[in-house]
Amino acid sequence: MTEKLRRYEKIDFLGEGQFATVYKARDTETDSIVAVKKIKVGSRAEAKDGINRTALREIKLLQELKHDNIIGLLDVFGHKSNVSLVFDFMDTDLEVIIKDSNIVLTSANVKSYMIQTLQGLEYLHFNWILHRDLKPNNLLVNSSGVLKIGDFGLAKFFGSPNRIYTHQVVTRWYRAPELLYGARLYGTGVDMWAIGCILAELLLRLPFLPGESDLDQLTRIFQTLGTPSDETWPGMTDLPDFIQFKPFPGTPLKHIFTAAGDDLLDLITSLLNVNPLERCTCDQALQMPYFSNKPPPTIGSKLPLPMTIRKEPEEKPSLKRKLLESMDGGSLAKRLQF
Amino acid sequence: MNPTEPTSNETLSSKMKDVIDVLAMQREKRNSLQKSIIVDYTKANDSFTASRFIFECGFKLDAHPLTIATAATLYHRFFKEGDQEGYDCYLIAATCLYLAGKVKDNPLKIRDVMNVAHNTLHRGSQPLELGDQYWSMRDAIVQAELLIMRMLKFQVTPEHPHRYMLHYLRSLQAWFGEEEWSKYPVARTSMALLQDFHHSTAILDYPPNLIAIACINLTLQIYGVVVPLMDECDQQPWFNVFCKELTREKLWEIMEKIMAAYDEEPETRDN
Repeated sequence: MTEKLRRYEKIDFLGEGQFATVYKARDTETDSIVAVKKIKVGSRAEAKDGINRTALREIKLLQELKHDNIIGLLDVFGHKSNVSLVFDFMDTDLEVIIKDSNIVLTSANVKSYMIQTLQGLEYLHFNWILHRDLKPNNLLVNSSGVLKIGDFGLAKFFGSPNRIYTHQVVTRWYRAPELLYGARLYGTGVDMWAIGCILAELLLRLPFLPGESDLDQLTRIFQTLGTPSDETWPGMTDLPDFIQFKPFPGTPLKHIFTAAGDDLLDLITSLLNVNPLERCTCDQALQMPYFSNKPPPTIGSKLPLPMTIRKEPEEKPSLKRKLLESMDGGSLAKRLQF
Repeated sequence: MNPTEPTSNETLSSKMKDVIDVLAMQREKRNSLQKSIIVDYTKANDSFTASRFIFECGFKLDAHPLTIATAATLYHRFFKEGDQEGYDCYLIAATCLYLAGKVKDNPLKIRDVMNVAHNTLHRGSQPLELGDQYWSMRDAIVQAELLIMRMLKFQVTPEHPHRYMLHYLRSLQAWFGEEEWSKYPVARTSMALLQDFHHSTAILDYPPNLIAIACINLTLQIYGVVVPLMDECDQQPWFNVFCKELTREKLWEIMEKIMAAYDEEPETRDN
């Protein structure tokens, strides 16, 4: 296994989390840049439980997946009592891009990010995998403008009818109403909802529904989209944590996304349908007129990037926070830095 | 043959007598089987006995059947790579169970695995005290887990025959029709054969879909059930509907391996 250590030549330290240390490295065999995530194995004091469950999930799911818009797990190796995962090196992520006030996101740019995200997610769902933690900083972007879905620490196989899941998934702001109501059986709709929130955030350049508590999250959802009724969402009242909300009429999306065309508003509407069964699937979303209408999506190489990446890619690599945060148990909302 | 078995009915033909004697033999065997069901694992370290240990511990831990199947598969794969003499097979077995729990998202607590494994190996012993022995066993499992992962090149998610079997059985159920299907416990027996086949290292030698077909075909043979409407399949055997390339020879080869798994069982050996 020492040859593996030699194969990946450490270039830079990217950061450290509770469960992992991430390095930027050069793969001497292919001469490409990779990210090496070294999983820490706990000491006896912190009750040694062996290999980290999150890391194992990433290993087992990503080993079977291969798609341009899914982060590639290139290699796994062990040394002494460590396990290291080798990933595609990604320069930045959508959260950084959204927050970077020097970047102008055109509608063609947004369309490109959406297509890439939906194609990656379609592939995941096709393989019966739910991501369950989609948010802008899990959508990684490299310097060629390729977007890849990352962080599979919460991902799970779905489709087994008797399998009960936890509803404590997905960072709150991107959490679908059925999860907030405590649904234990859910499907691809939870990922679609998150995509809807991300799309809205790409347009507004601010989190769309930044709830401060689970209750506040539901309030914001219903204030914006209208309180659902038994007709618009049958079965809602049977969910474990259901509570009746005051009937809000909702705000017309046209008033929120003033610059968006009708085709885009249609897409947002079907992604953010409060009834999970009515929410569109990736396939349906990609078939919507928005994606074939003008303007065409920006090609990867023309997508905007933070200046630090374009100008001096070697000296100042953007900190790949994502790889670290994913190991911090990370489905809690992170504080916004305005 | 059991000469003491009374022939209750004098009018029975001699042919029928043989049948009754066979039944008596089976009864006898079943009785002796029940007596010897408690295995002393400390007396053997072959892969059959260790697999059995995995199943016994798995049941006690209330693990999901696929978790136990994963554990057995990991165990066989590990010893395909590693030297049987070089490792304590029960440590590896217990670790495989623990790791399988993680792989299948069916979490088993390490302390439960340790206590169950310890008590199954040393029957009647008390749960481990939180002392040196406890910690060294825990360390051993954690180290063995990493060793297994590395030996298996981090490919620890086996593709199970179970899912194929379920699909084939569903199709056959519709093919037979509800009435015909309910006459024989085909599904139950096929599943039992599949589970038992995990005691044999031969489980690694064939693709999962073929193993599923072989278990079902063996079941059909056992009950003497014929798949209906075969004339309409252009004289192809039923399994070619699910797997075109599968030959009769290959199928029988796998079926023999499944049957051979039972030869290892000490209490069913003829003497």
